[in-house]
Amino acid sequence: MAEKDGKVKVLENRPGWIASINPWVLKIINNPERTAFVLHRITGLLMALIIMAHIYVTGTPARVGWEAWAEEISKAHGITPVTLYFFFFAGIAWYHGLNGIRLLLTEFFGVCIGKPEKPKPPYEAPSLKACQRKLLYLVFLLWGVLWALTGYIVFFK
Amino acid sequence: MTFDPKAATRTPPKKVVFKVKRYNPETGKTWWDEYEIETYRGMTVLDALLKIKEELDHTIVLRYSCRMGVCGSCGMIINGMPRLACQTQIAEVATESNPVVTVEPLKNHPVVRDLLTDFTAFFEKHRSVKPYTIRKNIEERETGDMEYLMTPEEHEMLYEYTLCISCGLCYSACPVAASDKRFLGPQALAYVWRYVADPRDEAWRERLEEVDKDEGPWSCHYAASCSAVCPKMVDPAAAIQRLRSALVKYRMGMYKKRVAKKATRPEGQVKPKKPLPPEAQTLPGVDLEALEREPPVVPVEQLLA
Ligand code: SF4
Ligand code: FES
Repeated sequence: MAEKDGKVKVLENRPGWIASINPWVLKIINNPERTAFVLHRITGLLMALIIMAHIYVTGTPARVGWEAWAEEISKAHGITPVTLYFFFFAGIAWYHGLNGIRLLLTEFFGVCIGKPEKPKPPYEAPSLKACQRKLLYLVFLLWGVLWALTGYIVFFK
Repeated sequence: MTFDPKAATRTPPKKVVFKVKRYNPETGKTWWDEYEIETYRGMTVLDALLKIKEELDHTIVLRYSCRMGVCGSCGMIINGMPRLACQTQIAEVATESNPVVTVEPLKNHPVVRDLLTDFTAFFEKHRSVKPYTIRKNIEERETGDMEYLMTPEEHEMLYEYTLCISCGLCYSACPVAASDKRFLGPQALAYVWRYVADPRDEAWRERLEEVDKDEGPWSCHYAASCSAVCPKMVDPAAAIQRLRSALVKYRMGMYKKRVAKKATRPEGQVKPKKPLPPEAQTLPGVDLEALEREPPVVPVEQLLA
C-alpha cells in the first residue's frame, strides 16, 4: 500500500473493491442504503455467474436429448440440488430486480429523494428521511415475502 | 450526520481507552497505540487527542484548527464512522459497558502520518469543477452595483449545498471512491449541482457537458453514505441524483433552467457612494497610489537577523 514518494512513503489508504462487498469496512449509522448497495453488488455478481451456469444448463437437452432432460426435471420436487439452485437464484433475482426499480426511480428520475431544506437539529439529511427510505424497506419486505413464496412453490408444489 | 443534541450534557465514562492508528512514513509501518485518559463532561474526541498529545505521547500527529466544526480539518474515523473530532462528544461514542474509542485516519485520502491525511487530490477535484459563479458578461459582473435576482424558493433549493466545509468525510465514506481514484466524489459533484441549480450561474450547459463522464455522477451507486456522514447536512447523495436526472433530461433536450437577470435600478436613481468608515481611512501622509506604483522594499533578511 505504501509507495515511495521522495524520501517518505505515503499510505494510499483506499480499501478498494472490498468496500463494495463488505458492509463492515465502515460502521456508518443511519445508512441502510449502503447495505442495499452491498447486497445489490453481491447479487449482481452472483447473477452474472449464475447466468453463465444457466446458459450451460439450458444447453443440456442438446447434449443429452429432450427425454433425459424432461425426466431429470420431473424429479425436481422437494429439496434437491436443482430446487435449491432455483430457490437461491430466485432470491438473488428478486432482490436485484426490486432494488433495481428503486434505484431507477431515485437515480434516473430523481424522485423520492426529498427536497433540500434548511438545516435544523438533529441534522438528518433530507434524502435519508425521504420516501426512498420507505421504498427501501418495502424492497426488503417484498424480497422476503416473494422469496418465501418462491420457496413454497419450488419445494412444496 | 444525525447529532444527538443531548450528548454534551451527558457524562462520559470516567476513564476511556483510546486506540489510535499510527503510521510512520519513514518506515511505512502501521500499528495501533492505546492510551487511557480521564474524561470530563463535554469533552470531545479532539480534546481527548490533544490531552493525549500533551500528557502521554507528543508524537501523535493530527490536523485541526477551529475546534468548532467550521474549518473541516479534523476529520477522522471514530469508532468506524467518519466524523469531525471536534464535533464528536466522547459521551456519544463511548459507553460505560464499552469505554473504548478507536481513531483512524480518513479512508480514501492518502495518509501522511498517523491521523494526518493529504487533501491535495481531493482539493484538485474540487478545483476542477470550477466552484464559483460564472457569468458570460464579465463586465456586467465586475462593474455591477446591483444583485442578480433570485426567489427565496430558488435560494432554498441550493442553500443546503452551499454549507459544505470541504472536510472530506463524504469522500472518505464513499465506497466508489474506495476503489476508483478518478471518481470526482460526493463533495465535488455536490458543488457541480449547486452551481447548475443556481440561477445566477450561466455556465450550466458547460458544467453538464463537462461532468457527463465516467468519473462523474454515473459512477455513483447511491450508497448514500456521504449524506449519512456529512456534518453540515449538505446531502451530497441527493445532489448527485439531481445532477444525474438533470443530465438525463439535458441529453433528451428537456432540461430547462432560468438564468437570473441583474436587478435594474429605477431610472434616475444613482447608488449613493458611502464614505469609508474611519478605521478604513488611510493614515495622513500615506499616498496609496504612489505605494502601488512603487511597492516599498521590506528588508526581511535584516529583520530576521
Ligand atoms: S459535503 Fe459534507 S461531508 Fe462532504 S466535504 Fe462538504 S461538509 Fe464535508
Ligand atoms: S477543528 Fe475545525 S472542524 Fe474540527
